[in-house]
Amino acid sequence: MHDPNLNVANVLTELLGIVNMVRENKGQLLLGELTPEMKLREDLGFDSMDLAELTVRIDERFKVDVFEAGLVDSVDEVLNRIGGGKASKNN
Amino acid sequence: MTRHILITGVSRGLGLALAQKLLDAGDTVSGLSRHLSADYETLQKKHGKRARFKAFDLKQASHIKSEVFDDFLPFDLPLHGFVNNAAVAYDDLVTNLDLDRFRAMNEVNVLAPITLTQHAIRHMLFNRVAGSIVHISSVCAHTGYKGLAMYAATKGALEAFSKNTAREWGERGIRSNCVVAGFMETDMSASLSDEQGKRIHSRTALKKATEIESVAAAVVYFLKDGSSSITGQNLFVDSGTI
Ligand SMILES: NC(=O)c1ccc[n+]([C@@H]2O[C@H](COP(=O)([O-])OP(=O)(O)OC[C@H]3O[C@@H](n4cnc5c(N)ncnc54)[C@H](OP(=O)(O)O)[C@@H]3O)[C@@H](O)[C@H]2O)c1
Repeated sequence: MHDPNLNVANVLTELLGIVNMVRENKGQLLLGELTPEMKLREDLGFDSMDLAELTVRIDERFKVDVFEAGLVDSVDEVLNRIGGGKASKNN
Repeated sequence: MTRHILITGVSRGLGLALAQKLLDAGDTVSGLSRHLSADYETLQKKHGKRARFKAFDLKQASHIKSEVFDDFLPFDLPLHGFVNNAAVAYDDLVTNLDLDRFRAMNEVNVLAPITLTQHAIRHMLFNRVAGSIVHISSVCAHTGYKGLAMYAATKGALEAFSKNTAREWGERGIRSNCVVAGFMETDMSASLSDEQGKRIHSRTALKKATEIESVAAAVVYFLKDGSSSITGQNLFVDSGTI
């Protein structure tokens, strides 16, 4: 994780804000909570274009291109990419 | 509304004319080319901060994200358009093809523009801008000219890329079109002899070179809201090549 002040709970809160920005734009209801096991497509209802927007917003905030190293499927995998694999295990 | 437009190849020729047109209309231009020319510097003196410039060699396509976007085009400066104008022309008979020169041309004419489009679209997505992308193609991708097969292939690649980009990103309001230019009197065509020039012009309805101003005006049209229902198209500005 680039920012030492970030832990999983903080990242999840920030990700929730980002996810809701994408959902709001599509006229979907805002989510109250984001959990690591949630699936980006099935649970968040994102299609490939939404995932592209999500990628850009995560890149802007965390300086990580989450899809660069292949597809990600769940919130947990996004956390891992952001934290270089450490975030969700150590905190 | 004034806009912020990224243009490659602003040091001279069509890119310079286009930058001047947009700046005169009150837009902000972020210009790229290898050299800061005296002409572009004159535009900077006249228009101040609206005439932005970054010296960048498009042969370095892999540095586009870090050097062009992260450093020069941060997300807090919304981007409304991208004009892929810079290009090089390597001409020779197909039988003489030099693979290194062909590769270098592809890096500048195809790989860098596609990578710039990748990041321009990301930028537009971030700021929710219904942006406009314009590629400068060449009539030689449609009408054959001896010696231009390799160059024409790079323009054909861009036209196909543009059409597919239009299809892919239309749902987000992002448009992509090509302006297909005929032979203009710029540095790029300076190596043509008078005789070659005459022969090329005789193939056009208007019997003369394509005016840079006319090509620039077509690009401006695609950048503006007046063209908001046009995407995936090629507009020929070529003196009516027949
Ligand atoms: N002229 C014609 O007859 C004609 C006909 C049909 C289509 N076109 C197309 O029209 C467009 C403009 O052409 P033009 O006639 O204005 O050409 P030009 O006068 O040769 O100008 C080319 C521009 O591209 C820049 N450029 C070239 N290589 C570059 C590199 N490696 N990295 C960054 N910038 C680079 C140059 O700047 P630096 O040298 O400072 O880098 C210059 O500003 C091109 O796409 C061309 O294919 C031209």
